[in-house]
Amino acid sequence: MDPDFAVPSSLDEAVRYLEHDGAVAVGGGTQVGLLLRQGLIEPSRLVWLGRVAGLREIQRDGDGSLLIGSAATLAEIAVSPLVRSAQPMVARAAALIGNPRVRVVGTIGGHLAHADPRQDLPPCLLVLAAEVRLLGRKGTRDVPLRAFFRGPFETAIQEGEVLIRVRIPASPEHTRGCYKRFTPGTSNDYPTVGVAAVAEIEDGTTRRAAVGLGGVAPRPLLVDLPQLAGRPLDATALNAAGQAAATACDPASDQRGSAGYKRAMVRLWTERALGACRP
Amino acid sequence: MRLAFLLNGEQFETEAPGSVLLLDLIRGCGLWGTREGCGVGVCGACTVLVDGDPVSSCIYLAGCALGTEVWTVEGVARREPDLVEAFIEHEGLQCGACTPGQLVMAAALRARGKDPGEAATREFLAGNLCRCTGYRSIVESVRATLGS
Amino acid sequence: MHHVAVVRSQVPHGRIVAIDCREALAAAGVAGVFTGRDIGLRPYGRRVRDVPILAVDEVRFVGERVAAVVADSRSAAEKAAATVIVDVEELPPVLDAEQALTPGSPRVHETPWAYPGAVVSEADPHNLQSRVLHGRPDEVERRLAGSRHIVDRVYRFASGHQGYIEPQTCVASVDAEGTVHVWMANKSPYRLRAQLAACLDVPPDRIEIHPVAVGGDFGGKGSPMDAPLCAELARRTGRPVKLVQRYDEDLTSANPRHSGRIRVRIGCDSDGRLTALTADALFDGGAYAGFKPIATVSLHGLVDIGSSYRIPAAAVDVRIAYTNTVPRGHMRAPGAPEAVFAFEAAFDELASEAGLDPAEIRRRNLLRTGEANPWGETWVESRGLETLEAALAAYRPLDVDRGWRHGRGIAVYDRPTSPGKTSLRLLPSAEGVVAEVPMPETGTGAHTVVREGLARELGIEPGLVEVRQVSTAALPHDDGVGGSRVTAALSKAVAEAASAYIDRGSDEAVTVVVEPGDNPPVTAFCVQIAQVAVDPRSGQVRVLEILSAVDVAQVVNPHAHRLQIEGGAAMGYGLACLEDLVMRDGRVWAANLGEFRIPSTVDVPAWRTVLVEGGRGVGALGVKSVGELSNVPTAAAIAGAVADAAGVRARDLPITAEKVYALLRSEEVS
Repeated sequence: MDPDFAVPSSLDEAVRYLEHDGAVAVGGGTQVGLLLRQGLIEPSRLVWLGRVAGLREIQRDGDGSLLIGSAATLAEIAVSPLVRSAQPMVARAAALIGNPRVRVVGTIGGHLAHADPRQDLPPCLLVLAAEVRLLGRKGTRDVPLRAFFRGPFETAIQEGEVLIRVRIPASPEHTRGCYKRFTPGTSNDYPTVGVAAVAEIEDGTTRRAAVGLGGVAPRPLLVDLPQLAGRPLDATALNAAGQAAATACDPASDQRGSAGYKRAMVRLWTERALGACRP
Repeated sequence: MRLAFLLNGEQFETEAPGSVLLLDLIRGCGLWGTREGCGVGVCGACTVLVDGDPVSSCIYLAGCALGTEVWTVEGVARREPDLVEAFIEHEGLQCGACTPGQLVMAAALRARGKDPGEAATREFLAGNLCRCTGYRSIVESVRATLGS
Repeated sequence: MHHVAVVRSQVPHGRIVAIDCREALAAAGVAGVFTGRDIGLRPYGRRVRDVPILAVDEVRFVGERVAAVVADSRSAAEKAAATVIVDVEELPPVLDAEQALTPGSPRVHETPWAYPGAVVSEADPHNLQSRVLHGRPDEVERRLAGSRHIVDRVYRFASGHQGYIEPQTCVASVDAEGTVHVWMANKSPYRLRAQLAACLDVPPDRIEIHPVAVGGDFGGKGSPMDAPLCAELARRTGRPVKLVQRYDEDLTSANPRHSGRIRVRIGCDSDGRLTALTADALFDGGAYAGFKPIATVSLHGLVDIGSSYRIPAAAVDVRIAYTNTVPRGHMRAPGAPEAVFAFEAAFDELASEAGLDPAEIRRRNLLRTGEANPWGETWVESRGLETLEAALAAYRPLDVDRGWRHGRGIAVYDRPTSPGKTSLRLLPSAEGVVAEVPMPETGTGAHTVVREGLARELGIEPGLVEVRQVSTAALPHDDGVGGSRVTAALSKAVAEAASAYIDRGSDEAVTVVVEPGDNPPVTAFCVQIAQVAVDPRSGQVRVLEILSAVDVAQVVNPHAHRLQIEGGAAMGYGLACLEDLVMRDGRVWAANLGEFRIPSTVDVPAWRTVLVEGGRGVGALGVKSVGELSNVPTAAAIAGAVADAAGVRARDLPITAEKVYALLRSEEVS
């Protein structure tokens, strides 16, 4: 049976469509198209969010946080002047995902809801303490991204709910971020290891540092680095950070690298990404 | 559902499930220039333009094309014959299986403005695989169509 | 037209207990469901006929065809195929070539020697597909014992897919007279006709293979593949049928490259002059041998190891084993990239033992004109030294990023040029001529050679020559695309046809058939220098440039020639650094092009090509082959460059960052 294809124009309408048993929300449709073609999902209804008014807007909130509508495409995020000025790491990471054809179709909502642990934006959004807004029949709820990913392809989204927005709080002054994507075979691939780092450094002293890791655990990981606070981000600190990240990760062996190699690369690329956050 | 969009500049309407893949819909119309290669959005042989943006039609849900403007390689070649000429002139093909996708990507890149340079052109084409040429001549063909 | 979807085995080895097709038969649009029992066991193959049209009673690899659904659309056929329940009693599989040749291992076939075309006997190990022994092993041992330096190493190779963008496709129909018509992406239509005739048990003149442009071959489109099945289904359903493999089927179930290992032992004297070579190769042929076309059912590149050098004594032993994995076939210069990788790597290691530079040891040992190669062949000229010097003269070291290490590697290959048999028909058109040719265009420029060759011979503009592939009913014969023989064969046919056309006294068409005949023994050298940058902390390798010096005679079309060289090197790069058709438990794991990666625009290095002109070629145009030249030494050159940069030698392909990293770490530890 072919699923029906609903094209809501408002969020209310979208939620009503999603109440249907076996309904699946569709952002750009790249992952859903792939899964359908491979027979991995058999939804009864596809609810396409591409025509929902206002859902692809990117705005700056009064408190300086960045609000990205879930239907904003990866390409739009990559070139958005707002994203580029507020969170350049997010824009740069979005520009690295897949290929141009994926980026013009794939949406941030679909990217996050799909929850492939190898994706590029989750590590960045985790270190930036982003949260997502979910809308369901009972209203909205905000979920911090660190509580959002449950496992491979599993999230906190419940039946009938839809991800409508990502909020990235304004980073404190003197904060810099860097995302490193290690693709030793071909850059046209999922990363063996993806490391997003942020460091708030004032007068040579680290106030806060953290890394987000992709591809090295059943879900993207956030590794806070409180041990780096109050000291300079020097070689010793980078070494400690690398060690902490390597300890925190839980990689699986696959064709992109053995677990041991990925762990070693988490350490190396944590040092490199964090090192690049130095002013 | 009733699917309606502009196809190569002409109004197109059909009754089909929105979950049908755009590739199958297009080929079903006898537009066989768009090829199925990998079937997973990786090789680029099935590239078409939707509202000016290149997409992998092999994983693109036809319902998402509702009300858009779709251009396939046939329409692109008719609209911009100099692209085809450039590929011939610069030997940008061998077996031809990837060529429709490369041509559509060339049109998409040109629509974005002037020549972004070799490195950026290569980045833009990184998702369009060719097994024959080693790519130099494809990159040259594409750049030859761009204003400097 | 009906569409076909195939139900495939999900286990590497098993006995088929029952196949339940009831739901599929009842599904909308389904015209029929067929199993091996319906079709019967009439195996096909390019040489050994051991491939069943559909499995009968036993399945031998994950992906083997078990049943076929014929329906009025592709999606109806695929949906119905998914409902077919195959009840299989699993049997112990043998998944590794080494294990396969161990006494007592599970048998892939009960009586492999009994297949038509088999080159093994009952006395051989039970899973042997083929064995080629060549040379003088006793002499090799004697000379190795007296050598100043000896290297004894094992080199390993992952499987890989040809990576053509157009998957395997076939359309077949049977007309009212019973003639079978086939439209197929196949590079050798006349051989396909013969192979189909043998399998279907009909005379070749009742089979017509129609012209189809082939969307990439690289060795993978030379077998009957799905044609016997489609012909049978068309015959049984009375309607034309079409089968287009999904790319995942192509990756998991077609005929990818052999995986294997080569042990090389070579020695030299105190001046670095080679004394002896012996190679022991063991490759995994998968569940069927029917995808290898040559008489020895082996990979000739392996048998030719060391061919570019003067080696007083040499011996090879090449074994290919049956296993319960996807059957393996040919890929661009079958066996040669592996043999050259193993030999050149061992040669580099020998050079370092002897305290010689990799260029210098090659200079001292390259074959000179008049000298016989290790396998007793001599050539009208051996231009390896000139080609090496041209490469070295053109070499310019490139800068690398801070913290990265630079390395340079050199590798050499030579390949003979031998035309095949072909035919050509020339007829007048309104303003020029039409050339009817029997071979498809696979993208290498075969038809361009005909057009430009005829234009030259007839003194007309190339635009006035129309080249048209015609069906097998229209021309006498052709050996098909392969063996780098296309330009040599066609140029001969072009010359003879043009001369007959000019001399003919009427407006009639002329048809010529050319035999390989007596040709001067010609070989072409290719020397590549790879430059790499290695990040010692991650092991990542960036290949910066492949410089190819190529020994040429006449070049028919410089653009097409250059593309063959560059495209070949790109394939060599993929083999060296990237491509691994990962298998686990006998199943191809890298089952889509997102997992089996081939090089993209941003991965490939820069290409530089230097032509070493003035060589003596074959045929009327005087050409040397190029199609299977530049893809061969690339991996060896890259491996040499990585060893130069990192100080460690990767001995298995692909050379991934992780392998280099592990080698560097173990070096640190020791």
